[in-house]
Amino acid sequence: MSARLLLLLLLLGLAAPAGTDGATSDANGETLAEILVSRGLVRERGLAVGQVVMLSADARGAGARPFRIAGVYEPTPDPSRFTAKRLEARMHLPDLLALTAEPGGADAVDTVGAINIALEDPADASAFARELGARAPAVSVMRAAAGDDEHFMIIERFHVAISVVTMIGSTAFLLALMVIRADERREIAGLLRLLGLRRRRILLQALLEGLCIATAGAVFGVLFAAVTQGAVNAFFQWRYDTTLVFVRVTPAIAARCIALALPLGVMAGLLASWTLLRQPVLDLLRR
Amino acid sequence: MSPLQFAWRSLSRQPARALLGLTGVAVVGALLFDMLMLSRGLIVSFRDLLKSTGFDVRVTATEALPGMGPVVSDAAATVETLRLLPELAAVVPVRFGVAAVEARDKKTHELAIIGGETRRRGEWRLVQGADLGEGAAGRPDMVVNRTFARDQGLAPGSIVRLASTLPAREFRVSGIVEFPFEAAGERMAGVTLNGFTQAFPAARPDEADLLLVASQPGVGTEAAVGAIRRARPDLHAFSIDEVLERLRQAEFSYFRQVSFVLATIASFFALLLVTTLLTVSVNQRLGEVAALRALGFSRRRITFDLLAESALLVGGGGLVAVPLGLLLARVLDSILRQMPDLPSRLHFFVFEPRALALHLGFLVLAALIAAAYPVILAARLPIAATLRRESIS
Repeated sequence: MSARLLLLLLLLGLAAPAGTDGATSDANGETLAEILVSRGLVRERGLAVGQVVMLSADARGAGARPFRIAGVYEPTPDPSRFTAKRLEARMHLPDLLALTAEPGGADAVDTVGAINIALEDPADASAFARELGARAPAVSVMRAAAGDDEHFMIIERFHVAISVVTMIGSTAFLLALMVIRADERREIAGLLRLLGLRRRRILLQALLEGLCIATAGAVFGVLFAAVTQGAVNAFFQWRYDTTLVFVRVTPAIAARCIALALPLGVMAGLLASWTLLRQPVLDLLRR
Repeated sequence: MSPLQFAWRSLSRQPARALLGLTGVAVVGALLFDMLMLSRGLIVSFRDLLKSTGFDVRVTATEALPGMGPVVSDAAATVETLRLLPELAAVVPVRFGVAAVEARDKKTHELAIIGGETRRRGEWRLVQGADLGEGAAGRPDMVVNRTFARDQGLAPGSIVRLASTLPAREFRVSGIVEFPFEAAGERMAGVTLNGFTQAFPAARPDEADLLLVASQPGVGTEAAVGAIRRARPDLHAFSIDEVLERLRQAEFSYFRQVSFVLATIASFFALLLVTTLLTVSVNQRLGEVAALRALGFSRRRITFDLLAESALLVGGGGLVAVPLGLLLARVLDSILRQMPDLPSRLHFFVFEPRALALHLGFLVLAALIAAAYPVILAARLPIAATLRRESIS
């Protein structure tokens, strides 16, 4: 509720005229209330610290009150709202209540939308919520979300699913390449067999070769991702004006990539070689 | 023998290679098809949702989305003014609020309440019981969604007690409905404006978060929006297309960009795969190509043979990619639709003929580009030197 009100206020601020810079009191000599303004709003409306702006809870600007911009803040990145412009302002609660209260409505100045509570021991959160819920049935008590944000988890699941599809496509591509490669060496394989080398020995060679290629490919892939992650983040941070990090190549992710790529590469090489080597020697030599 | 028959024989000579090529193209083609569906899926789905309400214009106090900005004050007078406009067929004020209800397990849950008038168009779909009425003296009427009804064991005639008001206010359930924008697991209810003031005694009277407007049949949405802007320039009227354009630019843009990036990667991947297969295939058949040229096959004919081979690989994979893509889209859609607060009728992947046409266009382009290098290789082949080299080796 409070976030909604803040948004409401800042949107009204867009339509309100800006006053003089550096003012600390109004025309009657009263000290002006101070607000913090989000970086996005400052840039969007060309505001500056020290400037006086008029805010109103009414869309047409009725009952507008002056506030002095005391500073600029960076809103906490919110993954569920990163595509939205963060045009926001923060002010002291009494100022907000006075601004939004119904004229003559004394009760409204003592009303809040929510109360945030920090417990001495966070482990008591569930018990505290239960107890408060029982004592104040008219109040909705909710435990603040802990751990990973659900949006993040779902986006991660989506990306994993896309990765699986890409991996299946890549495996088909890799297998095709390995089959071609094995086919190109058909006659050499036949000659080696004629010279007395066993299938197992030739397969071992194919395995080592596959391992080298897969390692080189996986390391190149990880390095490429590590080098380009900055560009990807810079683009999305610029596009959405956020400090959220979209791509991060962690050691765990790099290890997972290599752990998947290596067996796949080796298996593809072995499979392609085996389909060739199981043929009779004369077939390999096309005789 | 036609180029297509020739290409078919060429591919079937290496069945494993051809099959793997087709599989690769089918998988990346499916991904490409899905990304094309994702690029506009949310917009198409959201447009259907907005249209299902039967109102083609939304009016708010500011440019902020409904519920995210200042409310329309003097709502009753505003509604009366708008109802006098000949371009408009219906004007309905709407209010949004969140109340608390006590569940059977004694836990308090949030209940999203929509305040409006008795149903005129598609504000909700009646599933069971009677529609919202003004209600008799005493308890106001309330329509509830299936999630809320199931959680609380409600049926038409049941009583809902709001725990967020002191003293607790009671409502009579007149029916069970389905709201167009309800999220999975969300408890929702609809009441009249009178009922809304009872559910939220502290709310300012005579306000509306949103005005739903339907234009007169034959007049058109644009004319209705224009009439509202002339009559009340202080308000903000949006047609469905304007709302969608705004969402496309902001709220939905992430998935559009992700789909663009992945579609580009998928196209590149398909191109690389087919180019590699064709190039290797041509390199292995240099002697054969030279022999054909020596027998009188023209460069043009060789070009058509390779193009046909490329078309068979890409076309075959592309055809399999369509059902595979539709299947994959269902899986990916089910993952993304688990996002909280998302209308359960909203979809990320929506099939459109446009997506299919674009998919085919991309594949044709990929087939042409993939064949370009092998074609150049085969066309520039020195016939005598190649034949000599082949016979020596």
